[in-house]
Amino acid sequence: MADLYPSIAQCAVVATAFKVLLFPAYKSTDFEVHRNWLAITNSLPIQEWYYEKTSEWTLDYPPFFAYFEWILSQFAKLADPRMLRVYELEFDSWQTVYFQRASVIATELVLVYALHLYVQSAPSALKRPSHAAALSILLSPGLLIIDHIHFQYNGFLYGLLILSLVLARKKSTTLASGLLFAALLCLKHIYLYLAPAYLVYLLRAYCLGPKSIFHIKFFNALKLGTGVIAVFAAAFGPFAIWGQIPQLLSRLFPFSRGLCHAYWAPNVWAMYSFTDRVMIYVAPRLGLPVNQEAINSVTRGLVGDTSFAVLPEITASTTFALTLLFQFIPLIKLFFDPTWDTFIGSVTLCGYASFLFGWHVHEKAILLVIIPFSLIALKDRRYLGAFRPLAVAGHVSLFPLLFTAAEFPIKTIYTIFWLVFFLLAFDRLAPASNKPRVFLLDRFSLWYIAVSIPLIVYCSLLHGMIWGKRLEFLPLMFMSSYSAVGVVGSWVGFLVVFFTS
Amino acid sequence: MAGPSPSPHKPRRKVKKTSNSSEVSSVAPSTTGRSSTSRPAYPLAAFLWPARSSVSQWEILPLILMAAGLFRWAAGLWGYSGFQNPPMHGDYEAQRHWMEITTQLPVSQWYFHDLEWWGLDYPPLTAYHSWVLGKVGALIDPSWFTLHTSRGLDDPILKVFMRATVIISEYLIYIPAAVIFVRRLTRLQGINSWNASIALTAILMQPGTILIDHVHFQYNTVMLGLVLASMSSVLAGRYMWSSVFFVLALGFKQMALYYAPAIFAYLLGVCIFPRINVPRFLGIAIVTMVSFAVLLLPLLLGAFYDAYRGIEARPETFGRFAPLPIFTEYSYLVNYRAWYFPIIQQLAQVIHRVFPFARGLFEDKVANFWCALNVVIKLRNYPSELLQKAALVATLVAITPGCFIIFLKPRKELLPLALATTAWGFFLFSFQVHEKSVLLPLMPMTVLLASNHGLSKNVRAWIGFANLLGVWTMFPLLQRVDLRIPYYVLTLLWAYLLGLPPTSFAIYKQDGQPTWSGFATSSLHCIFYAAMILWHFMEAFLAPPHGKPDLWVVVNVGIGAAGFSICYLWCLWNLVVESGLVNLSTPEKKKAKSQ
Repeated sequence: MADLYPSIAQCAVVATAFKVLLFPAYKSTDFEVHRNWLAITNSLPIQEWYYEKTSEWTLDYPPFFAYFEWILSQFAKLADPRMLRVYELEFDSWQTVYFQRASVIATELVLVYALHLYVQSAPSALKRPSHAAALSILLSPGLLIIDHIHFQYNGFLYGLLILSLVLARKKSTTLASGLLFAALLCLKHIYLYLAPAYLVYLLRAYCLGPKSIFHIKFFNALKLGTGVIAVFAAAFGPFAIWGQIPQLLSRLFPFSRGLCHAYWAPNVWAMYSFTDRVMIYVAPRLGLPVNQEAINSVTRGLVGDTSFAVLPEITASTTFALTLLFQFIPLIKLFFDPTWDTFIGSVTLCGYASFLFGWHVHEKAILLVIIPFSLIALKDRRYLGAFRPLAVAGHVSLFPLLFTAAEFPIKTIYTIFWLVFFLLAFDRLAPASNKPRVFLLDRFSLWYIAVSIPLIVYCSLLHGMIWGKRLEFLPLMFMSSYSAVGVVGSWVGFLVVFFTS
Repeated sequence: MAGPSPSPHKPRRKVKKTSNSSEVSSVAPSTTGRSSTSRPAYPLAAFLWPARSSVSQWEILPLILMAAGLFRWAAGLWGYSGFQNPPMHGDYEAQRHWMEITTQLPVSQWYFHDLEWWGLDYPPLTAYHSWVLGKVGALIDPSWFTLHTSRGLDDPILKVFMRATVIISEYLIYIPAAVIFVRRLTRLQGINSWNASIALTAILMQPGTILIDHVHFQYNTVMLGLVLASMSSVLAGRYMWSSVFFVLALGFKQMALYYAPAIFAYLLGVCIFPRINVPRFLGIAIVTMVSFAVLLLPLLLGAFYDAYRGIEARPETFGRFAPLPIFTEYSYLVNYRAWYFPIIQQLAQVIHRVFPFARGLFEDKVANFWCALNVVIKLRNYPSELLQKAALVATLVAITPGCFIIFLKPRKELLPLALATTAWGFFLFSFQVHEKSVLLPLMPMTVLLASNHGLSKNVRAWIGFANLLGVWTMFPLLQRVDLRIPYYVLTLLWAYLLGLPPTSFAIYKQDGQPTWSGFATSSLHCIFYAAMILWHFMEAFLAPPHGKPDLWVVVNVGIGAAGFSICYLWCLWNLVVESGLVNLSTPEKKKAKSQ
């Protein structure tokens, strides 16, 4: 273990120092969202949690997260009891800011521990690459931007996810892995996107025999089944007894939202919208009908229905079907080859499918892909080839989350720092593949990374200088289309790697 | 021992391994950050661990600079001095105000404009610097610099702009100077590039400069960077460039005078020893004078041009004669209608503004000798003439030994120690010292990290001690503007990275045979660290007793002054030992260096 420096703990200390310095940084409405949840859970009886709507930021996470907020609120009392009043909208005394920011840092220790276990459980030949991957997750610009500036608790939640993924590595802890994932689902339901991979893996590796699928391990199935039911009962049981499940579900799954989120997530629908915008100018020459009403709809980039001028409309069921289809494909392989590496690959591909084809996908969801992928990105050079454009695209696509001048240098320099450091380190650490390369991903990633520099310069500086406040949507659209190309490219590349290895 | 190799690449680790046995037995001066078991001895070495072998400087340097920049910018998100604090606001307002003075007023009026509201009292290079920044800023938003209506402005975008100007100025001057200085010094002393990177990172993460420049707000790093450039020119043997940079440093901030005697003694020394070199002497003298002339030229030309256009430097006098601010009693000798009068007037005013002799011995509570003495004897009861003379004599006494040594032994590698010694002398004994001036002695002392044995436990412990004590004496200043958190974060981070107390006491564990001086160092430091920690608790939780509202600050000043005196003695002692003037027997000398 002699060469595992800097250690995870050392990096965590320095990263924490940096994050504490970011206390006064810009914070999004998510800060108020979480403050409101602290207030709701602390000051109201449980029966009212999912009905309370004084603030527009109603509680829309599953019950475990509400319980988590309740626990935090017990400490929040000591910092400043005023933040716990439901009617104190937009309350942000310095005590509140320090407390909430500090709670993000403190709960992120789960991630530190999970990464520590990940390195510990790695086979000795892979210790160094695993260590580098663990550091890349710990220092991820995604987590820094989303959690420590924008404000959310992803470090904690992804920490639990990694913990669950790492527990799946060993036979003896597979059950714990499944139960932990169930608990994670009750914390934040976005992880439902990864559930198919868990389902198949637990079924095949835990409930069925290793030799034959007809050899059913009934006792294991029973343990898993009762365990998962117990976890869900603990979360949803009380609300089921009070008959609040329909209300709760309507909060968790607001289907009334549009196809694309306010800031376009870099998925196929962003490319689709981009194509549609281009078609507005091309269509009249081709004699295609243009829907005049739709022309002005996406231009503002605000929340709402996206309607397309030329291309056919996309319905929620279309996106749902496509997501399931592309999640299903890798699961076939997982079913016949239930190893840990394939499992992580399948989780990653489930993340990809839901991110690329999902309905109302938020750009923050890219972490669902990046973080599981990081765990196997250093398996060999082919994996790394697919990972590289994702690392660039995924993080660059998060830039629009922060739009204030003071945070601009932080998000860009930090991301560049991370990309330079880890892509250089990964390049040295990833072992050569024993399979021949089948895809021109290397060329693709080089070109791709090179294009990012002029694009960022244009979007963050030149556009404002040339156009001023006009055409504000244009940089957003360029960025998300560019990022979408990267994410789709890395997805295709990874699919090839996944099925040929 | 793994000999210092001139190649930029570190010899492989196995060289170290084979020498383990000999290293344990002898108290080998471990120049590297690693101990004999091949583990990084402190976290900063661990962070650069992956770069030990075969990583090019061009990969590691941008990463170090980016990391240093990130910490600076993040620290800058906190408040600055005088934020929403009328009536006078603070240093931030002063710098902003100078930008509008220089861009809105004719040149001849720069140094005459309203002294009461942060009148320009820094030398001309600061004025030119402010002019450039003011011009750039006005392109973004002219309302930031409208002279009268923009006083005390707290526009958040203006803050971003001002923070950016500090960072950009630093990255254009201090950081290149530091990088080049570290490279030259480590090449000169045969230290490998891995250790050079550690030293560079430690120098750039120095908490004092970040807190004062990027949080509290000032442009000290420009002046410090010019001094570093001057030192690094000396290392390259370019004495004329050295004097140019030093004149620029003086022209930016008069505080650089703290270094002037040592620089002067050194430059004079290299002209005399080992043999008298007249052309060199003349070259340095002429270049220095020319640099001063060039420095003043824009200001004087501006004054001329304004006189030619009929713009009065002092519109409030309505063209009547006003006596000069200095040598007032002789000013009737000068014809105020003469063509050269604007020059004399301008020079006299600059000198008057830049050196306010009329002020007291010390302004605020500062951890120097006079302020500490004031606790015992009320200095206010003595005539200020006497005090000024006493201060002058004491300062001269304090700086003479250091200057004398560097004059007699003008060796390049002694320069940082000589500068540190004289700067400590000035800081402790001269008058008109400000808390922030502690950055001046700290800079040359901190760059010693890049020297031979600079990262050894002993030297690291001393440099760390001086820096942590220095930052600690600035705590009252920072705390006044609610900067406790960046203070704690940046200070503890630096202590952590270099393995210093209060994060780790391993630095005082002696390798091999314990020595008396090692024991003395560690007990001395530990007493001070304990006092500092205790002080923080008292300051945070105990209200000062009735009638003594300044008690904590006074205690801070007393401890600080004592600690800085020790730092002064340490620098002087090392200067004596390294110069070889005092003939110490060899084994003893080795010991003094190594533990």
